[in-house]
Order: sequence, then structure tokens, then C-alpha cells
Amino acid sequence: MIAREICERVLQKAVSTGADYAEIFAENTLDHAINLVGGRVDSVHDALIAGAAVRVFRGLRSVMATTVDTSEAGLMKCAASAAEALGQGTAEIDICLKERLFGDIHPIKIVPASVANKTKVELLKSGCAAAAEYSDSIVQVTGTLLDVDHNILIATSEGLYAQDRQIRTRMSISAIAEVNGETQTGGCRPGARMGLEFFERVDPKAVGVHAAKQAVTMAGAGYCPAGIMPVAIGNGFGGVIFHEACGHSLEATSVAYNRSQFCGKLGLQIANEKVTAIDDGTIPGDWGSINFDDEGTPAKRNVLIEKGVLKSYMIDKMGGRRMGMESTGNARRQSYAYTPTSRMTNTFLAPGNETQEEIISSIEYGLYAKDMGGGSVNPVTGEFNFAVNEGYIIRNGKICEPVRGASLVGKGSEVLQRIDMVSDNLECGQGMCGSSSGSIPTNVGQPMIRVSSITVGGR
Amino acid sequence: MDFLKFKQLVASEAQKLGINEYELYYQAAESISISAFQKEINKFSSALDGGVCLRCLVNGKMGYASTEALSEQEASALLRRAADNAAVLESEEEEFLTEGGATYQKVSTNQQPLPGAECLKEKVLAGQEALYAADSRVKDGSTGQIFAEKMHLAIHNSKGLDLSYENTLVGYMAGAVVGDQGEMVNDYEMRVAPLEEIDISEVANEAVKNAVSKLGAGVAPTSNMPVVFAPSAMKQLLGTYSGVFSAENALKGLTLLKGKEGQKIAADCVTLVDDPFYPQSPMPMPFDAEGTPTHCKNIIQNGVLNTLLYNCKTARAAGKENTGNAAKAGYDSKVSVRPFTMYLTPGKCTEAELLEKVENGIYITDLGGLHAGANTISGDFSLQSSGFLIENGKKTVPVRSFTVAGNFFQLLNGIQEIASEMEMKGATGSTAFLSPAVWVEGLSIAGK
Repeated sequence: MIAREICERVLQKAVSTGADYAEIFAENTLDHAINLVGGRVDSVHDALIAGAAVRVFRGLRSVMATTVDTSEAGLMKCAASAAEALGQGTAEIDICLKERLFGDIHPIKIVPASVANKTKVELLKSGCAAAAEYSDSIVQVTGTLLDVDHNILIATSEGLYAQDRQIRTRMSISAIAEVNGETQTGGCRPGARMGLEFFERVDPKAVGVHAAKQAVTMAGAGYCPAGIMPVAIGNGFGGVIFHEACGHSLEATSVAYNRSQFCGKLGLQIANEKVTAIDDGTIPGDWGSINFDDEGTPAKRNVLIEKGVLKSYMIDKMGGRRMGMESTGNARRQSYAYTPTSRMTNTFLAPGNETQEEIISSIEYGLYAKDMGGGSVNPVTGEFNFAVNEGYIIRNGKICEPVRGASLVGKGSEVLQRIDMVSDNLECGQGMCGSSSGSIPTNVGQPMIRVSSITVGGR
Repeated sequence: MDFLKFKQLVASEAQKLGINEYELYYQAAESISISAFQKEINKFSSALDGGVCLRCLVNGKMGYASTEALSEQEASALLRRAADNAAVLESEEEEFLTEGGATYQKVSTNQQPLPGAECLKEKVLAGQEALYAADSRVKDGSTGQIFAEKMHLAIHNSKGLDLSYENTLVGYMAGAVVGDQGEMVNDYEMRVAPLEEIDISEVANEAVKNAVSKLGAGVAPTSNMPVVFAPSAMKQLLGTYSGVFSAENALKGLTLLKGKEGQKIAADCVTLVDDPFYPQSPMPMPFDAEGTPTHCKNIIQNGVLNTLLYNCKTARAAGKENTGNAAKAGYDSKVSVRPFTMYLTPGKCTEAELLEKVENGIYITDLGGLHAGANTISGDFSLQSSGFLIENGKKTVPVRSFTVAGNFFQLLNGIQEIASEMEMKGATGSTAFLSPAVWVEGLSIAGK
């Protein structure tokens, strides 16, 4: 993308006013998405994102300058403006870059950019058609087949010069059902760090049927009751509870700046002893996986909480400086235009010893949250929320009628203590996570868990 | 390469490829952002960004492609990609480009140059001083951020349209973290205005005041009760549900308001306006994303749905008047529909008088998780909330960690009264939502 020699000259310029660290992040990304509405191709999104960012540190100060002009002159100008903003001083580092090959643990069989639109349209159509044909109650189906070809280059004053190509594929199908004048939606959005061979693993028809079935079930459902009750949260995307209730509050993004309820809690019991939580960026082919992070630190498997005890935060370089700790390989950014910060990769609760059946039968009256929507959290207070896309009432240990329109709210530090049953069926779901460094792909996951009591927002 | 040169390259390449109808949508910005933590500058960033989106008509279908690399090679690649994409499109609505030569309303924008970094640093540091001075309970974690952006937008097409728009936006945000007896809470306040008009310490004080008011909050009781949405919460709700007024969504069967024009959909006191020239808007727009001249319109008038929001394609498909609401989520996005400044027309009584009428209920200041807890198709919402109890006609104790649940379409009908005070504070672009406090009957609160 940018020759090593050019990077050396640009970095030398960047450290010319006394920076103790400098970095170039350059990117060339093809973002491609086909959108289907009502069985017809409605639009194709096709964008080339290309630019670079130069970042310099001195102590706890960071400066970043970005540009779409990736010629040497453009990059030098960018480096000069970063150096100037840092203040006055003289160069204390000699730049000497050595190329490093991290290897790629995510082999791609079919690069999406090399496949004609027509083939992708057929895949998407088969999924959407399966949704439309599922039931007469389905009144509309929309679908998207997304593929991203994200090429990055990182060069740092520590001597690193490395490139990576991150390819991701995702199919999203949404269905709308109308039953007796009540309209509800259902969705299914699987994705992976894979090429189009992803569809050898995932059948587009199954994606469509999943979305349609959920819409039909929910359209026939009554409103979820409101109140505090025990909740069984299903496996897979249910892991969003940990992502919101705890994950964000363990990122240096909040911890390093005294904006987290978990500041200063390393080594302490912050969760029920049944809770072991892991962030693992090294899982081959998974949606949130990376070979190395956006600061050039290799991806790692970090145990965040072990049997309820806080073991590790998720840390980027600048956060690490403030906290006096090393980066954990969690620095991520949506694109060159965003300042990287600590983010999650594939984050999940480890499986326990109980079974799903034991969890359901342990609840006399409560909610079974089978499928979750997204959520959000304020790390300062730990207050989080997330939506229940598909819920059922549990009565006398049995799953009963479906209920709609529920959300769960609580405080992370409290809810972590109330996760008192963990089953053995770990699964992950795919999401896009938004924070100060933009929107990035992350996996959330868990086996089915029981939260002994939580506020259910219903009506 | 600048846009002018790129435009010429595309023109000659288009001719070679036999593409006669196309449009280039160009957006570029120079920006600077400075943040402070404790009493020091900790983050500085500057950016030079820009990109071009091309759309072209091939066999009646509108294909899109965009790029941030403005080069000779890209000019040709862009056309080929867009034509390729057009070839698989199957939507039946007729698409077309806007003819040049229309007249546009003059708008006043900020034509000042980008403020200097030194001046911005001083401001944000003064903000930090003001934050810490405002209350002894202010904690580290309180931050300030100032940003300035000089943006340029241009639309050029093969039918003689050649529009350009420049504006400079400057904003300051203060985030206050306050703590007392082990409890930590936070809030923020933001202004977007020409730099000299932003009163930094007032914004910082306001942020601290907001945060302090949340200390010692209890949990609301679970019940069905009258709710007053504060301006800050109502504008969140309007923003989340603004898509239900989109003709694009109506065309796709994605809004329950499809076919409801001319029908009563809200209480009599509800008049919902979309104004591209709203006086306090930092970004008044004379044209929309297709280059159509914009105008002010009532979406809902006294409870009756007057019009949905249209662009070229959706207006023609529905046989309605184009409201000039074509919009792109980003320069690289497909043309869709979006409001400019959308607001609920203020009523007659003050907020204080309105609370007296309500007597007992709940005053909601913040809503959370709108991207997940609000279903824009069914209208159902169940949202994390915080605010204050209303007791004997007054706001009393703070409450939080509860949910409010209802349905947006039912809520429109359930509006009892709208207060008279309305203020635009932190709008950062051409789309903004605005509302006075709104009293709604009977929503479900889940708390203790």
C-alpha cells in the first residue's frame, strides 16, 4: 500500500518534535452490500475507503492527523501537522522499519470481491424467498448481503511494518409478519471472518426461515409484563448481556479515565463464581477475530473474569500508558478516520455445568429471553439496557406463551452477581459494536444463563 | 486531485463508456478536534477527508459507487463499478436526475475560516477549569471536547445541475462526572454555534448541574402513569421514529403510516414540522441530496397526517409532490429520505404550568438503547429511562434504572398537551430533532 521507505520518512517527520511514539495506519477497503426488498434487488452499496492516519504520543498526550491524500507529499503534510500539534521539541527516535509477517489464521477460499454480483444476488434471493414463503402472514422481507475487504498497513516507530487483509461476509434478513392487524418483526444476521465459503456452513434458506419464524411468533404474542423477575437468557446473541453489563466497563476506554464502575477492582470478586468471561481475538474465522490489532499488537485470548474474579482489562497502547499496563491486543478502529481505542473482539461467557432444562425448570415464574436485540451501557454508572427480540413466559418450570416488546435493564456490577446458573451450550452471535472508535464487528456469546432477578421493561 | 479535475475526468470517461446520465456527489471537510482530561489537553486530531459518490442511469436503473481515492484510474473504475451495480437492480420505480436551473432560497451559513488550534485549546482548558470549579463533587473523568469542521458539499450532474455549499461548524461538549458517598453519575451538555457565541463556562456549569441533579436517585415504582417527556427525551424519540414519515419506507412497506395521508394519526394539539431553514440550525440547507430546492412543511397538522417526506423517486411513484427531503446517510450512501429540522410545534402553557396540570407522574429526561428497544416497524418501545418524579405538580426526587414502555403510534394519539418552551442546543448537522416537553397519558413504567 505504502512502501516501507516512504513510511520511514513519514514517521521520521512525525517524531521530529519529540514524540516518544509514532504510527501510520493506512487503509484500502472495499465495502460492498446488496440490498433486497420484497424479492427484488433494491440497491447495491459499493464504496472504496482509502486514507491514512498518522498518530504521535508524548507521555499521555496523543495527536492524530488523517488524510485521504496518501501520496508521499500528502502523508508528509499529515505527519507535519501531527508533529506540530504535539508542540515543540527535537527528534529523539531514529526510525528503522522491519517488515513483519504475522501470518493469517483466517484462510479465505472465495474472495467476495472476485465474485460477480449475480452470484451474490442468487444467494440472497434464496434466503429472502425462504422467509417470504414461510407463512402467509409474512408481509415484507428485506435482506442484505454484505462483504468487506479491509486492507490495512501499520508502521510504528518501534520498527514494525506489517499488513493484513481482513475479509468478512454477512447475511441479514428481516421479516415483517402481520397477524390479526398486529405487525411484528423478526431477524437473523449471521456473519464470519470468511469469504463466500461462509455459505457452505450457513444455509441462506435457514437464515430466512429463522427471521420469518420469529416475526410470525412475535406477531401473535401479547405484551410482556413489567416488573422484577428471574430471567433465563438464551445462548448465542444472549451474550450481549455480558457485552453491555460488563464488557464495555472493562475497556481501557473507560477504565483509564476513571469512568468505569470496575476501576481498581483487579483481583477482586466482581461477579458470581459461576461467571468466567473471555475475550478472544484469535478464533479462526470468527466475526470479531483479528490477526493483530489496529496498533499492530498480536491478537490474544484474554481471560477477563475467572470464577467471578476480575483478571484483566482490555487495553490499547494509550490506555495502557495511563494504567501502567501493557496492551492486550484490543486496539480497534472502524477506519483510518477514527482514533483507535480498546474494544472487544469475540467476547463470551465460558460454559458451565448446568443444562438448559435445569435452568428453565428452576424458574417458577419468569421470562425466557430466547433472542436478544442490541443494547447500550453507561460505563460510569454501569447502567445498561438491551432489547428482547423473542421472549416467552416461564410458568412452573415450563416455557409458555410468547411475549413481545420487552427490554432488560440493570446495573452491571449487580447483575454480574445474580448470574447464578450457567449451562453447557456455548454459542456466539454476531453484532456491530459502536463506541468512540466507530462501528466494528464483534462476537458476543454465552451458554444459557439464569439471572436470579432483573428489571423487565414490559407493559 | 481536486474535485474539479476529477469531474472533468469522469465526464470524458463517461462519454467513452456511453454513460449519458450521471451525477457526482462530493463531500469534503477539514476538521480539528481537541479533548481535555483533568486539566490538560490529552487528545488532538485533525482530518482532511473527502469522497465522491457517483450514480448513473443504465437501462433505467440507478447504479452507485463511491471512492475516496480521486485519481485518473478511479474515475474510470468508478463508472464501471456503478454500471455493474446498475445491471443487477430490479426495483420498478422510475429513477431520474434533477434538472439544473431551479432557484434556491438564500441561507446564511458560517463562512468563517477554521479556528486556530491554540484558540481552541484555550477554550477547552477554560472549560475544564469551569467544570472543576462548578461543584466540589466533580471528579476526574470529567472531560471537555471542542471540534471545528469546515465542510464542502457539491452536486454536479449531466443535466446541468451544479450546486455547491460551504459551512463551518464549531461545537463544544462538556461531560461531567460527579460523585458523592460512593455513587458516581454523569451527564453532558453541548452547543454548536460560531465560536464567539459559545459560552464555555455556561455549558460546563450546565453539565455539572445536570449530573448533580441525578445524585441520590431512587427507583421508580412499577405502574401505569402519566409521563412528561422532557425536551431532551422527546427529541430522542422523534429522531428514532422519524423514519415512519419516510415515503421511501412507505414504498417498501416498512412504515405503518403508508396510505394514511389525510387521516387523523395524532392528538389535535400535535403539529409536526420539518423546516430546512430553522433559525437556530447550524446547517440550513437550500437544496436536498438530489439538488431539489427545499421548503418548510407541516408533516402533521392538528393531528392529521398532511404529507410524508418525499424525494424524486418516491414522489413520482406515489403521484405526490416532492417535499425536497432526499438525503444520504453518508456521501457514499444511496439517496433516501430524511427530515431537516423536525420539531413539534410548541403549545401555549409553560412547562411549569403543564406539570401542575399533570399533578402526579414521571418526568423523563433521558432514554437509552433506542437503537434496540424501539421497534420502528411496529412502533413498540421499551426503553431504559431516567428522570424525576412529578409530585403535586412539581418535579421532585430523581429516579433512574427504570423502563418506559408504549407504542409510538398510540403515543401520538395520547399526547395531552405540549409545553411552550423549545431550544436548539447541540445539533451537529443538517438533520436535527427538537421538541418542547410533552405530556402523554398512561405509559407503563417498570421499576421496583
